[in-house]
Amino acid sequence: MNAPEALLRKEDLRLITGQGKFTSDWYYDGMCHAYMIRSPYAHGVIKSISYEDVLKAPGVVRVITAQDVSQAGMKSLPTGVTIQNADGQNQTLAPMPVLATDKVRFVGQPIAMVIADTYEHAKQAAELVQMDVDMLDAVTDYDSALASQAPQLHEQAKGNLSIHFTKGDEAATEKAFEQATFVSSMCVKSQRLIGSPMELRSVVGKYDPQTDRYIIHTPNQGMLGMLGALEHITGIPKAQIDVQTQDVGGSFGIRGGAFSENALVLLASKLIGKPVKWVATRSEVFLSDWHGRGLELNGFIALDQSGKILGLRFENKADLGAYTCYFGSFIGARNIVITMNGVYDIPALSVSSELYFTNTVPVSAYRGAGRPDIAYAIERLIDHAAYEHNFDPIELRRKNFIKPSQFPYDNRIGSVYDSGEFDKLLDRALEVSDYKNFEGRRQQALQNNRLRGIGLAYFIEASGAGTAPKDQVIGQFTAQGVLQMFAVTGASGQGHETSFSQIVHEKIGLQSDQIEYIAGQADKMMVGSGTGGSRTLYGVGSAVFNLCEQIQEKSKPLAAQLMGVPQDQLQFTQGSWHAGNQSLSILQIVQKTFVPGQPHPLDVTGEASSGATYPNGCHIAEVEIDPETGVTEIIQYVAVDDVGVAISPALVQGQIHGGIVQGIGQVFYEQAIYDETGQLLTGSFMDYAMPKAGCLPLIKTEKIEVITKNNILGSKGVGESGCSGSLPTLSNAVINALRPRGITELDMPYTPAKVWQALQSN
Amino acid sequence: MQLTINGQIKDLAVQDNMLLIEVIRDQLQLTGTHNGCDTTQCGCCTVLMDQVAVKSCTILARQAEGSSIQTIEGLAGSQLHPVQEAFSQEHGLQCGYCTPGMIMSTVYLLQRYPNPTDDQIKEGLAGNICRCTGYVNIIKAVQSAAKKIQEAKV
Repeated sequence: MNAPEALLRKEDLRLITGQGKFTSDWYYDGMCHAYMIRSPYAHGVIKSISYEDVLKAPGVVRVITAQDVSQAGMKSLPTGVTIQNADGQNQTLAPMPVLATDKVRFVGQPIAMVIADTYEHAKQAAELVQMDVDMLDAVTDYDSALASQAPQLHEQAKGNLSIHFTKGDEAATEKAFEQATFVSSMCVKSQRLIGSPMELRSVVGKYDPQTDRYIIHTPNQGMLGMLGALEHITGIPKAQIDVQTQDVGGSFGIRGGAFSENALVLLASKLIGKPVKWVATRSEVFLSDWHGRGLELNGFIALDQSGKILGLRFENKADLGAYTCYFGSFIGARNIVITMNGVYDIPALSVSSELYFTNTVPVSAYRGAGRPDIAYAIERLIDHAAYEHNFDPIELRRKNFIKPSQFPYDNRIGSVYDSGEFDKLLDRALEVSDYKNFEGRRQQALQNNRLRGIGLAYFIEASGAGTAPKDQVIGQFTAQGVLQMFAVTGASGQGHETSFSQIVHEKIGLQSDQIEYIAGQADKMMVGSGTGGSRTLYGVGSAVFNLCEQIQEKSKPLAAQLMGVPQDQLQFTQGSWHAGNQSLSILQIVQKTFVPGQPHPLDVTGEASSGATYPNGCHIAEVEIDPETGVTEIIQYVAVDDVGVAISPALVQGQIHGGIVQGIGQVFYEQAIYDETGQLLTGSFMDYAMPKAGCLPLIKTEKIEVITKNNILGSKGVGESGCSGSLPTLSNAVINALRPRGITELDMPYTPAKVWQALQSN
Repeated sequence: MQLTINGQIKDLAVQDNMLLIEVIRDQLQLTGTHNGCDTTQCGCCTVLMDQVAVKSCTILARQAEGSSIQTIEGLAGSQLHPVQEAFSQEHGLQCGYCTPGMIMSTVYLLQRYPNPTDDQIKEGLAGNICRCTGYVNIIKAVQSAAKKIQEAKV
């Protein structure tokens, strides 16, 4: 087999040869299989449930019911960060029970878990459940949820409202609008999406009565997020649970914490005394993975005569789904607020956000988690204002850009932007896209009866500072001189093993095969945040950098001793200490000083505290619409991004590609649709259109590195920026193409049917 | 029943309703072939059956009787297959879950079109969904693999 150095990433060899290990690849002797009984109703009162026939079915070992959950003392799922108004008013919470008890509130809600000897038996037995449910009317969107006679999901949440959140300087904003020469407004919807990682959600659990410990295999974004949620729900102390996860087949924010099934598999394995495996079907993923987006952003902008923005107001609506789970509230009240000014210097800002409940799957984080949504809203609004009041959309942006001299820039609504060179990136994007000659291309397309449009957006987003106060990396050398690094954060495709190894190689010269990164490990009591908010490279990567600095420093006296020279004669270059014609690499030092059975003197814990970063970029897209069919073709997509220092440029580019195309999915194809009874109409890949290879335009990416001081590496986040750029860019391009036909507003996704219909109505 | 899997003849006891993917994963323990949907859409389970790409979640095990199945585990010999190498070098994978299916579909694609056009690549991968890469580098990987295979023949 080829040497791994021919490959790009450390992760790749196992993944391209079928040796990767995902959760469903774990098999244990005597393992039983689980299948979930879920609510077929969107809203109803449970009168009775009979499992009599289920229990009699072939192969059934046990049914885990709400009663078992209650007897085990389990709590509801975590509600995540909760929201409070400035006057102290708290959000009304509705935690999701592990299994439904008195009421069901969305189609797909877990009711019981059937355990059998085989998957087939568990699935067949589950069909035999008898449920007596008094059905109630469902609410599935803002209008139905907030209607005066609307059915109520939760007694404590009057009018299905969780909170009416407000922030900003309302008086100043009102004044800005009074003084404005021009005012524009635009309401955009960021439709509900289904994250759809390719790996089906799954859990394998194994309880050992001898040690009273649990092993859980399950996709996650970092061991502590999963453990914290499991401890919260089950009451089992973290120290008794080993999260063992190797490969995770995508996550995109959905897998930050535990779902009902995670807790149930642990309970089941203890109750039946055997390992238990649960693997979702794709339909179950659609019906029970947290959904994303579900936001409506209603923006108002005030401009003076010259185009200077005087004030900005957003009135937002956030669909939480049936319960407050994990990040839904955080997105609806914080993430869509803290960068609402975009890249513009706006003196007066205010916002309100209504967070409400519906009979749908709870909403949590999905790639960008509010960031793409607000970037979409502000960049649509500014384009709209430019056209409404006859400003050049580029000059209007330039005029209001925050200038490099203004950093650090307090945006007055929750963020301090540290750096950015917006004019520079804009200039480059205009050049690469040949923006100035666009009108010629539009005219040429018209001759072929195609509507060509160009769209530009300048996005900025807040990449996470992390939930933990710092990130730690534990470094331990093996006898062979291999540096093993342990940290909390777990990858789901980002390439942590590769990027961290690269930092080590560049700093202290160890080769890729002398470095291992091991995510998780509950017995290592370390501090750190999971993968999320695009922060791992600069958060944990900074801790890796610090680890290397410590190794270098501590290796100096060892090198001096081994070479027999005073320390002040030593020079460190390219991973080795040099004195005269002697030199020793870190590897040689480790090998020469290793004492079996003892920790090596260079075993250290690296750590770093990193602040939020503000990745930003200018994207320009060109599209052509066939007015006969409504089909849009993306002709070209240019992305010029400021991600700070790019540690692994190929991986950075891969993240940008992936983000752009997930954005293409939202702009043109994807939408979770419920009917008025609360049935999910888009419950498979046949009804929920995912981007495929054929959707792909020519994508040109470039980067301009504006270094941040908010972390040691100078890097900014990149995981979510492609998506934040592509929603507004492509939407602006579609509207630009349609504007000559009198269409100035249209909601995503721009399906052929929708575009064609809009063209017919104008 | 009997089938050949990655060059080895196997005698298997299968039930009539068993799918090929269940035999591959649960009985033969070849877990590189992945299940990603219930509807034959995602292509994560793609294997070669008598050198033709098929979705192993949509074939009954009995339909494969007597055939020769190649899975991702059987693709590399002493060296990686050029398609495997190209997927890594062009960064055509991130999480890696769709990758075995993508690679098997690409092997089949390049059997039919040794010098594929962009449209032929996009058509050839229409049955495989990737959520991470945005396909940009997957397409590059297919082009690069085609080149590698051509060069190896010269």
